[in-house]
Amino acid sequence: MSNMIQLAKREIRLGFRNPWAYSFLILFGAFSLCLLAINAQNYLQGYSGVTASMLSLILYLLPLMTLFIGSFSLTSEKEDGSWHLLSTYPLGTFAFVAGKYAGLLVVLLTVTSFGYGLMGALGGVIGGGFDFKTYGLFLIFSILLILMFLGAALFIGSLSKNRWQALTISVSVWFFAVIGWQSFLLSFLNLLPYTWTKPLLVTFTFLNPAELVRIFVVVRLGGGSILGPEYYRWVDWIQKPSGGLIFGAVCLIWTVCSVLSVCWFWERGRRRG
Amino acid sequence: MDKVVVRVEGVSKTIKKQRIVSDISFTLNQGGILALCGGNGAGKSTVLRMLAGILPPTSGSIIVNGVSHEQKTLLYSRQLGYMPDDFQFQPGFTAQETISFWAALRKVPKERAKEVLALVGLENAAEKRVGSFSKGMRQRLLLAQAILAKPPLLLMDEPTNGLDPFWTREFIRLLDQVRQDGSTVIFSTHQLEVAGEAAEQVMFLNQGRVVGKGDVRSFRDRYPSLHEAFHASLGLE
Repeated sequence: MSNMIQLAKREIRLGFRNPWAYSFLILFGAFSLCLLAINAQNYLQGYSGVTASMLSLILYLLPLMTLFIGSFSLTSEKEDGSWHLLSTYPLGTFAFVAGKYAGLLVVLLTVTSFGYGLMGALGGVIGGGFDFKTYGLFLIFSILLILMFLGAALFIGSLSKNRWQALTISVSVWFFAVIGWQSFLLSFLNLLPYTWTKPLLVTFTFLNPAELVRIFVVVRLGGGSILGPEYYRWVDWIQKPSGGLIFGAVCLIWTVCSVLSVCWFWERGRRRG
Repeated sequence: MDKVVVRVEGVSKTIKKQRIVSDISFTLNQGGILALCGGNGAGKSTVLRMLAGILPPTSGSIIVNGVSHEQKTLLYSRQLGYMPDDFQFQPGFTAQETISFWAALRKVPKERAKEVLALVGLENAAEKRVGSFSKGMRQRLLLAQAILAKPPLLLMDEPTNGLDPFWTREFIRLLDQVRQDGSTVIFSTHQLEVAGEAAEQVMFLNQGRVVGKGDVRSFRDRYPSLHEAFHASLGLE
């Protein structure tokens, strides 16, 4: 446990001395102000075209930022020879991976919180801010995206030999999960018998953190009807009071599974040298 | 000091169907200093990496202080300190921050971390960023992390690379001190003068095979210098 904390502390220190983190901080800060400006001009409560666009914008930026920072962090350990040296220390693979995950999570959540803090403070001072529920859901949406994509990022980092490979895989995963997802579903599911559509749709949605979190927030914002009849049961359980807890548990399982798979993969590499 | 600390038996390493190291065996007693000598691609670093537990041997066994890496990984890693050849420090960290991190992982008190920095002559550079360090200073910082916990076995890959003549001499003096503290040392070098001065035993490697091994004294008795001994081992007399 203490080694995990040491790794997390090192990662936090590294993160805050990394120009990337500040680039993203400025980018996300500016981006948050844009969201505030959009909202101020088209103020509507609950789900609307404006909130949908804003969700999409967050969905474009945060997963990409998380995938880059997370995957580069692991590949740099390999490229700098740092992992070779660390592996001669009494340090378990789980402590290493969990420490990195925790440290990176703190850095990314700080960057995001800064953006939201700026948006909230300015919204409060000059007006035109979000209503509390929408603001809270946007924040939860962002945190969950980071939590889940960070697991995926570490997995990419454990697979990649160098930063270039990590960059290529990260962009591919981001493009597939965020931009090309609807096209993939349409093209793939249309090839299959209709009875397979629903179970496969559920399975695929659980596999894609971007889609999973988007559906949850859209339903919670009251926009479940736009998802179509295939998602009727999703709307049903998410809107229940226990929906939030169940969804939280699903996200936790997703994150734990991805971190454990990184551990397994990393340990396999450690044993093989 | 007759206790065997390192026992290597029939160790070979094959990577992508290429034999990197072939059938190496040796033992080393407590307090012994062994130099692995050879040209580029001789297999020195691979042997050290296998000893450090970074690379698993394809065949054979490595036992350090009665512990095998395969069976007890964490206990094995407590037996050694390792100084790699290809390490890049985080340039934004100071020497103090860097050594404190490694010390915390080994559960070594902060006072010892400061003591080790002084031992390698970096006490005045403790608050400087590692990014501004010369190659020699970085080597000394690497050496500092390796000796932090006074490990029973100290492994060093080309430790004198980048060191100026003063620090090369200091390194040899430091090795003697480490040995007197009870550590056993294995280091690789292509500088045979360093091997001759710092080590008690040498092992000549060529294309992954041991082509000669023995006491430095016995080589000196038979040859004018270690260079001659090395050439003779390669059959280039």
